[in-house]
Amino acid sequence: MGNWIIAPVVLPALLAPLIVLAMRHDIVLQRTFGLAGTAGLLALSVALLQAATVNPPEVYRLGNWPAPFGIVLVLDRLSALMVALTAALALVVQLYVVGTGWDTRGRHFHALYLFQLMGLMGAFLTGDAFNLFVFFEVLLIASYGLMIHGGGAARLRAGVQYIAYNLVASTLFLFALATIYGVTGTLNMADLAQKVAVLPEGDAALARVGGVLLILVFAIKGALVPLHFWLPATYDRAPGPVAALFAIMTKVGAYAVIRVYTLIFPPDTPATGALFADLLLPAALVTLALGALGVLGAPSLGRLAAFAAVASMGTLFTAVALFTPQATAAALYYLIHSTLATALVFLVADLVADRRADLSLRRVLPPVAQGGLIAALFFGAAIALAGMPPLSGFLGKLLILEAARAQAGLVWTVVLGASVLLILGFARAGSTLFWKAHEIPPEEAQTHAPEPLSFVAPATLLAAIAVLAVMAGPVTRWLEATAAQIHEPAPYIRANDLDGATP
Amino acid sequence: MIPDPTPYLPGLEAVVASAVGLLTAAGVYLILRQRTFPVILGLTMLSYAVNLFIFASGRLSTAAPPILREGVTTYADPLTQALVLTAIVISFGMTAVIVMMALGAWFETGDDRIDGDGGPDGDGGRTGGGGRP
Amino acid sequence: MSLALIAALPFLGALLPGLMIRAGRDACAAMAGAVTALALLGIGLHAPAVLRGEVVATRIEWLPALGLDATFRLDGLGLLFAGLILGIGLLVILYARFYLAKADPVGTFFTYLLLFQGAMTGIVLSDNVLLLLIFWELTSLASFLLIGYWRHSAEARQGARMALAVTGTGGLAMIAGMLILGSIAGSYDLSVILTRGDAIRADPLYLPALILILLGCFTKSAQFPFHFWLPRAMAAPTPVSAYLHSATMVKAGVFLMARLWPVLSGTPEWFYIVATAGLLTMVLGAVIGLFQHDLKGLLAYSTVSQLGFMTMLLGFGTPSAAMVAVFQIINHATFKAALFMAAGIVDHEAHTRDIRRLGGLRRLMPVTFALTTLGALAMAGIPPLNGYLSKELMLKEVARTDWAGSPWILPALAVLGAAFSAAYSFRLVAHVFLGPRRDDGPARPHDPGAGLWAAPAILVALALAIGVMPMTTAAWLIDAATSATTGAPYAADIYHWPGLGAAALWMSLGAVGGGLVLLGLFGPLLRGWDAMPRPDAKRIFDGLVAGLTAPARALTAALHDGALTRYLAIAVAAILGAGLWAFLTGVHGAGARAPLPTPVPVLGGWLVLVAATLAVVALHRNRIVALMLVGAIGLMVSVTFAYLSAPDLALTQVSVEVASVLLLLLALTFLPAATPAESGAGRRWRDGLIAAGAGLGAGGLIYALMARDFAFPGISAWHLANSKTEGGGNNVVNVILVDFRGYDTYGEIIVLGIAALVIYALTEAMLRPGPAADRIAAAGPRHGRAGDRHPLMLVVATRVLLPIALMVGVFFFLRGHNLPGGGFIAGLVVGIAILMQYMASGQTWTAARQRIDYHALIGWGVIVAGLSGVGSWFAGLPFLTSGFEYVTIWPLETFELATAMVFDLGVFLTVLGAVLLALASISRLQLRGGERANTAPFGVASDLEPRA
Repeated sequence: MGNWIIAPVVLPALLAPLIVLAMRHDIVLQRTFGLAGTAGLLALSVALLQAATVNPPEVYRLGNWPAPFGIVLVLDRLSALMVALTAALALVVQLYVVGTGWDTRGRHFHALYLFQLMGLMGAFLTGDAFNLFVFFEVLLIASYGLMIHGGGAARLRAGVQYIAYNLVASTLFLFALATIYGVTGTLNMADLAQKVAVLPEGDAALARVGGVLLILVFAIKGALVPLHFWLPATYDRAPGPVAALFAIMTKVGAYAVIRVYTLIFPPDTPATGALFADLLLPAALVTLALGALGVLGAPSLGRLAAFAAVASMGTLFTAVALFTPQATAAALYYLIHSTLATALVFLVADLVADRRADLSLRRVLPPVAQGGLIAALFFGAAIALAGMPPLSGFLGKLLILEAARAQAGLVWTVVLGASVLLILGFARAGSTLFWKAHEIPPEEAQTHAPEPLSFVAPATLLAAIAVLAVMAGPVTRWLEATAAQIHEPAPYIRANDLDGATP
Repeated sequence: MIPDPTPYLPGLEAVVASAVGLLTAAGVYLILRQRTFPVILGLTMLSYAVNLFIFASGRLSTAAPPILREGVTTYADPLTQALVLTAIVISFGMTAVIVMMALGAWFETGDDRIDGDGGPDGDGGRTGGGGRP
Repeated sequence: MSLALIAALPFLGALLPGLMIRAGRDACAAMAGAVTALALLGIGLHAPAVLRGEVVATRIEWLPALGLDATFRLDGLGLLFAGLILGIGLLVILYARFYLAKADPVGTFFTYLLLFQGAMTGIVLSDNVLLLLIFWELTSLASFLLIGYWRHSAEARQGARMALAVTGTGGLAMIAGMLILGSIAGSYDLSVILTRGDAIRADPLYLPALILILLGCFTKSAQFPFHFWLPRAMAAPTPVSAYLHSATMVKAGVFLMARLWPVLSGTPEWFYIVATAGLLTMVLGAVIGLFQHDLKGLLAYSTVSQLGFMTMLLGFGTPSAAMVAVFQIINHATFKAALFMAAGIVDHEAHTRDIRRLGGLRRLMPVTFALTTLGALAMAGIPPLNGYLSKELMLKEVARTDWAGSPWILPALAVLGAAFSAAYSFRLVAHVFLGPRRDDGPARPHDPGAGLWAAPAILVALALAIGVMPMTTAAWLIDAATSATTGAPYAADIYHWPGLGAAALWMSLGAVGGGLVLLGLFGPLLRGWDAMPRPDAKRIFDGLVAGLTAPARALTAALHDGALTRYLAIAVAAILGAGLWAFLTGVHGAGARAPLPTPVPVLGGWLVLVAATLAVVALHRNRIVALMLVGAIGLMVSVTFAYLSAPDLALTQVSVEVASVLLLLLALTFLPAATPAESGAGRRWRDGLIAAGAGLGAGGLIYALMARDFAFPGISAWHLANSKTEGGGNNVVNVILVDFRGYDTYGEIIVLGIAALVIYALTEAMLRPGPAADRIAAAGPRHGRAGDRHPLMLVVATRVLLPIALMVGVFFFLRGHNLPGGGFIAGLVVGIAILMQYMASGQTWTAARQRIDYHALIGWGVIVAGLSGVGSWFAGLPFLTSGFEYVTIWPLETFELATAMVFDLGVFLTVLGAVLLALASISRLQLRGGERANTAPFGVASDLEPRA
């Protein structure tokens, strides 16, 4: 694909400043170019997806410097999948933003949005450990801006906490990278893979520390207990569509774990062995349980959605922590599902929030305008997130349970038990919001502009979830090939041409 | 061949390591305070600590700046220096943002506590602004 | 018609009523009816083949990775159930058309109904147990919607949630059971599983699988102790009750037990779990049912009892018992659906379902009376109705089955149950229709139009027909279903007269007689019953849910109360713990690298650093002092860099230091000058310990690293070797930044640019009318500081410094590639120079003299950097590939021009723009805060006028 590999980074990186330069005073231009940019990203990512499907991993050397000395991007099935998923989600959410006028509630929304996408794309595509840090920072700082978009007391306080927590995470990231560099003397992921595999015995302990510090960074991103505390308030207080986009942010953590701990620290590494799985699996199960409890006890729809996100990350990491091709394939299927479903529930929550005094589940308020449609969307989101049939959540859950046969006793109990709590929680919330409201005489009924676009977006997500279920066969076949590629890193490393050509 | 070290002094590595440790400890203590300003100071201290940490992970050397000169063969590790530069710049941007954010929270809420879950339950973050213009 | 299509039809059809609602309820009902009839027709077309003993099958590949395919099968059992579901569905639709009020959203109703119907049809047609699971949970969801249909009623909502909770949970247990079953059988296809019975029963996992699957069946079929949700579900509209609780939903569990009968049955476990649960349920349901005052409540408990009846028979594990169960499934569907509909008519006409307020309706509602009586007699097991036959056969089976070695327990309890069944059946007729006419009811009831009673009439006619001539009307179906259930051909022999010698006859007579006696004694019995303390299942369930929800809420609320400092404490502790664990569980060899000597002055610097750091911690509550100390520490760090051969770092650290300290100072003009002492000793100790741990961890880690050499030759040797030749610069750090790893720098300046945008947007949000804006306006000049005249010396100094600083900036920029410097430092220097103006001459004076648009600076910076990278594409090279050239311009000496410098220019612009935009934002706050401007040059004149 040559230069196309970096296009998903460069396109928003050039478009965003252009918007700042030329169109910051005209919302229509911003919307037009913003949507066009995201649509362009989607087109690019589809092309990359096709390329990654037919070709082995392909390396793009920035500045034409050879790996491991320069920085490389690597396009393989995994990165292509993440890029495409991001672009697709971004476009839908952006439509919602335009449809609801969220982008008029503060400055520079579309520029920040594009920068956010640039950061995500860069993080998914890079093949260099330190460059991964840089793009983590890009996507984080953009997310800070988006999170406090529109301002407001509660949101700003939550924003300060979000930033402070993540600055600590970034610091930890640097500690981890420096440790790993201090042991191996390199930063390129493929090179790291080679070196870590043949590490002198005496360096094992330090390598283990580096690896663990790094996985903790990703655990913070992925909101794993006990490093998840930043999530509920942030997602609850962030603007609805931003929270919806953040559905992919937690997945960055999951992606990074899958990438680094199958490529650099695979379970058969002498120095590290099963260390990471031993840490990850219990944490993931606790995360799932806590998320489910949070859904059950949620005081407001915003919190409910946030904890549902936590729970789905727990499920996802449960599959990731098994580190087998079968489990990874299941994890990736669930990752796609979880991204769409989480985004959907936040968009629905925002639809409600705009039509209701607040999102509290403790008080009964009159039925919201367009309540029938919103209730239907919520029902869909609830089914998806509780992992009930017929949507992809159920299939994803089955795939994970199937992949976890080895630890069936523990994993099955937690996963199925959590499903019970999720079902109870969503049923309670739905009946309070959409049924109990009808106890109030209709003359108090609310009115609200229909804003068709704002319904097209969540409907699209729901449709996508349904399609993911219907097309489960081909999708899982593709993902199995992807998982195989992930767990067989030799081609990835070879593509980096480490001991080779001069520039 | 190392120049004869003054026997009763700890090695340079120990000195730097202790500095890193101290800065880290101070930073962590400050980020655990309940007001925004000390937390920001703490984060600054942590960034000092981690910058030194990265730098030191390239191993120490004196009087060997990585600027190529005729006849000089030993240089300090330039890569970690470049990494630290990047880290410094990024943390500068981050500091600027969190400072302004802290100001914002101060003005919006009227206090500079960093703890607390401001605002009533799930108003979708709409309290105090953020509503449709 | 393909089975897949038949299963899909109701789902496809479900859309229609929702869309057709505007066309009125007739259209909706017609649509729903047409779809159902079509599906029924499809089943009918397969019937001949199935009755010949063939198995019709369809397979569509879906998710091979899981062994989940859309495979369907139709055999005798499926035929029986599909017929019931669709046939009675048709009648229910007809009935509902006339039952529902104009106010009810009819379209939604039929949509839900069809969804449910599709789910049920799917269950009975699935040949893949995972597919069956999907439909299974779908019935839970659809029934949730149907039961909660009258959303304004609290009972409806609670009933719906309870049904979903109980049946959904059972379904989840069943998932595990099916996964085990599948793994034992090696396939999830029923057609395979059904052939693996022996292997499965012999497997050590048989019992867990059995229990988990039975959990699903028992919850669905309301078997004791999961029976309580069913009566609560009576809050649903009567058509729903008639459908869900006679023919379909509750029968799903029975169906599955029958479906898996050849695989799971025949073991003691199966017998004692299933038969016992069934027996208990039968008796309990009957007893409770007798004392219900709500018509539908009575019918609900009778349903529970009847389901126990069937479950018990399946539990016996003999083909003949299975046959009776199948027969009873048919009979119950007919008379129970009819009775529900009749009860609905009474409710509809008399506006009450409370038996105590009803009576003497036989003259007012003769038709309903006739229908109810026939249905009730069938339920009581009175010849010649079909209920009699199945009860007779049931008693026969019971009479010859031992339970725990005792031949008496089963018959005795069965007769007891039958007696109570008879009793509540009689009561249904006697207390509602017989007796004196009553006029105290809310309305004056009369028979409804034929539309409403047609459906129950058909069903009652069926019950009668089957009762009179079972062998002609039903045997063919029973045989087919039984053969499919047991997996062996079976020919039922159903008779009316067992012969005087048959125990069943006397048991049955006893039951009927007992029923009459019980009814006769109803008054005293009821008093006894009301006096008797009984556990209220609903309260227990609600208690359970509340007992789950309240702690969940308390726990999650307490954990996530926004206490960031606790979050961070936990995070740091967790990181420490994990890191330590990872270290201790690994092999660690001491390093072999010789330490560098420490000159005494270094030690002095170290002491300064230590002192300053400790001072910050001690004095952090005085913010100005703390800030100054932090600045000092920053300077010490840059000195360290300088000493350890990192001039670029030293320069950058200094300039960044200055910039951020100034920024914090500006912020401090708004924030309180002191931090209150808030944490008690305990808290401080906790934080101190965590901090100490973190310090030891970081220090120890870096020491361990520095004490050893790289395990492998580091990549930076290459950078040193190629900096000049390939990158065209002597300053390797700078070459790495703008060339070897220019992509990092690209990301880095974008971070800065974004930071500036965020700050700008944030300021905008703050200045928008609102509490924040008010507070800013009120903030004003604090301590009169900002209002003062700006110290002359400083003003002059900074003004003179400005051009010099600009020079320095350009100088740094140009030499960057070969000597310490570069675009970033240059940008900062220039930025700081202007920053100085802010500090010295005040925001306002400077802001008034700013002609540059910072947004533009940032925008151009990022774009220039980006384009300098894209440029290389046109040379056919990757992003950010640089070239360089040596040029000589007289009189200057030869210098080298690298495209990397264009990139560096972008860096310069972005950094400058970012620093300045951030400042401008703060200055806007201060302007709003009412700072006063110096108007005269240098602000030396004393005329300080307030800013407008």
